[in-house]
Amino acid sequence: MTKGTGYPTQWLTAFLVVLVLACSAIKLLPVVHAEDAGNLYNTAVDVLLGKRYFERQCSRCHGFDATGNDEAGGPNLTGRLRNASTNLGIYNVIRDGVEGTAMLPVATDVPDATLWQLVAYIDSLRYDPESVTLDGDAIRGADLFTGRGDCASCHMVNGSGGRMGPDLSRIGEENAPEDLMLAMTSPHDEVAPRWWTVRITGPDGNLREGFRMGEDSFALRIMDKEENLWSFRKSQIQSYERIEESTMPSYEGKLSDSELDDLVAYMFSLRREVLPK
Amino acid sequence: MKKLIAMGLSLYCAGLLTAQESELTTVMTPAFTPISWDRLVAAREEPENWLMYSGTLDSQRYSPLDQINTKNVDQLEMKWAYQIPVIDRAETVPLVVDGIMFITEAPSNVVAVDARTGRQYWRYDHEMPDDLRICCGRNNRGVAILGETLFMSTLDAHLVAIDARTGNLLWDVEVAPYDSGYSKTAAPLIVKDKVVTGIAGGEFGIRGFIDAYDPATGELEWRQYVIPGPGEFGNDTWSGESWRTGGASTWITGSYDPELNQIYWGTGNPGPDWNGDVRLGDNLYSDSVVALNGDSGELEWYFQFTPHDVHDYDSIQIPILVDLPIDGEEVPVMLWANRNGFFYTLDRRDGKFLFGKPFATVTWAEGLDPVSGAPIRVPGMAPTYEGIMVSPPIVGATNWYSPGYSQDTGLFYVTSFDGEQEFFKRDEDYEEGERYTGGGGRYTQPMDAYYSAIRAIDPASAEIQWEFPIMPRSSSGITTTAGGLVFTGSADGYFFALDAESGNELWNISLGRRVHAAPITYAVDGQQFVTIASGNVVYTFGLDD
Repeated sequence: MTKGTGYPTQWLTAFLVVLVLACSAIKLLPVVHAEDAGNLYNTAVDVLLGKRYFERQCSRCHGFDATGNDEAGGPNLTGRLRNASTNLGIYNVIRDGVEGTAMLPVATDVPDATLWQLVAYIDSLRYDPESVTLDGDAIRGADLFTGRGDCASCHMVNGSGGRMGPDLSRIGEENAPEDLMLAMTSPHDEVAPRWWTVRITGPDGNLREGFRMGEDSFALRIMDKEENLWSFRKSQIQSYERIEESTMPSYEGKLSDSELDDLVAYMFSLRREVLPK
Repeated sequence: MKKLIAMGLSLYCAGLLTAQESELTTVMTPAFTPISWDRLVAAREEPENWLMYSGTLDSQRYSPLDQINTKNVDQLEMKWAYQIPVIDRAETVPLVVDGIMFITEAPSNVVAVDARTGRQYWRYDHEMPDDLRICCGRNNRGVAILGETLFMSTLDAHLVAIDARTGNLLWDVEVAPYDSGYSKTAAPLIVKDKVVTGIAGGEFGIRGFIDAYDPATGELEWRQYVIPGPGEFGNDTWSGESWRTGGASTWITGSYDPELNQIYWGTGNPGPDWNGDVRLGDNLYSDSVVALNGDSGELEWYFQFTPHDVHDYDSIQIPILVDLPIDGEEVPVMLWANRNGFFYTLDRRDGKFLFGKPFATVTWAEGLDPVSGAPIRVPGMAPTYEGIMVSPPIVGATNWYSPGYSQDTGLFYVTSFDGEQEFFKRDEDYEEGERYTGGGGRYTQPMDAYYSAIRAIDPASAEIQWEFPIMPRSSSGITTTAGGLVFTGSADGYFFALDAESGNELWNISLGRRVHAAPITYAVDGQQFVTIASGNVVYTFGLDD
């Protein structure tokens, strides 16, 4: 039993946290050499074995396809990772867990080789933009984006542009080029609920239409075409209609294939600036 | 003279202070008296207390308290909040005994607080190994009490006894080896002079059981496996040696009928969850309710909801026991909304199926056999290597979260989910302590495309009387009161009250994080309170003093 939670205990806790962090840093230093050696288990077979291990051991929390599970709280592992940016970082998260979260350390008797195969699989889900060769030209795409394509009237990039579509400043980080192309040619295929449209007759009898910025069990929040933000209690609205389609038109046929390729190249280049090492 | 007046005033003030202090002291430390078995049997007669996980042995979660009612529930205000110091998902259902509340915390700790203020008396922190084998988060759902002792399951598959007055550890026994995949999350159930408790680990190839322990010593009194061994009836419903690793965990609290002297307990999925090829047969008694003798633990009857389950449709729901007039006779029945999407009314004397209907979207079965209650399966709905879409999804049409029943309306209330998921099958070999699930599932639409709802079901017809839609995948339990209320929560962090008769919304408050627990209601010094865990915080509400 632990007794008392006064200030001395808090200071002690803070000191211990600092101590643990310091120890972790020291512990990490020699292991960094393993990163230099690279992952020795990264063949196609290793990736497959890692996938099987993932489906069995990790999918309950992270989703069967590693795209996350909001109920279990396991994050999406197919894009940018929260707690690791290198293979060694991924390995450490699996081996040590993430303190204070449901991500527990893996059982101590699981061999390193299995963990590195798992690392290889997770790494295979990430995109190395350097390895991708694109047909389009990103500079021409940037001109199209703000010019004839008229994308910027709805989409913001790095603070410039409209509010009627998703901010695309980092769109290249979590989307493959083919996904970006599909988003332009078939925008209704996959629409995030944030961009569904709702039509609401409020308690004042006025019909308002806008993007579904937030909906919960008892309330709704929208942004209308004039960019006004409205909040409604569901118990007070007179009518409610939800349209699970995109407001974005398809660009298929409106732009040439090469222009679409240029836009893909531009959007794929939109990612967080990588600071020099 | 001035001195005399000053002295007189100060004496008067001191007297007032003493009087206030003594009154305050009396009010704030109500006498905690030991909880006898007779008090547990008659728990509904002391509605100021919440003496067990489901409130009463029949698990109705119906409170006779009516100070908070349909007319004033919209005036509820927050009285206090207790912040759980470990950041995790709180699934705790506290107990309240004579003004003291016992709250469990992740991973396996318990704290005693003043039920009027939320301020701490003591806490117990359970020491555990790091390399736990747990399927679904570090959860603990509550304690049981008998005498002056609390009993708690722990994630490392132990059962501990804790002194309710001090938090001192009285005994600590291993129920099963955690490194083989066993764990424990549910509140035990007191039955007479025994602590009855189940086991988790259905995703690790365990063999499920229900145990009874001596509350004084922690000695095992009996163990009833819910997968029959060789030579026992039902063992041949498992091909080969698959019974050894067949799962059928017992990871939620059961109910008890003192007149029939029967313990009712739900059992979990057969393992591996999604690949039935390695465990051909009905896989008894997975996905069932078992009725055990209250003294010996011997099996008296069973009803299997989902024979040879391949969708992870655990029957880990809490049996609600009511007496229902059928053809002029009061029949002791059991009400059960199952994870598989069907609602059942069973005769709890012998497990006979009485009625059943879907209460949520179901595509794996087209209905229930009107005589046996067995599901009539739709062919080709078993998981495949490529994936196949089935409703309910893995999380189920409902799950472990407590349903409720109102003695005033005669309705059964359940948190339900209309969803669908792609189910996959995989080939896996059993390895001790490793996951053994044989596949998994995947949603193909954004979660917001689906719906949850609170549904009120008439147990005499299995028909839905009303529903109140909420955002998807709600996992909150339900409590009903004589104030005509249904209290529950939502996945998007609301705590709310509905009219038990009509389902109309009466009050809600946004608590900001998922409600993943069931509410309780109790009273101290004549004032009724309602408590719910949301996110990482336990909130208590009441009317203006």
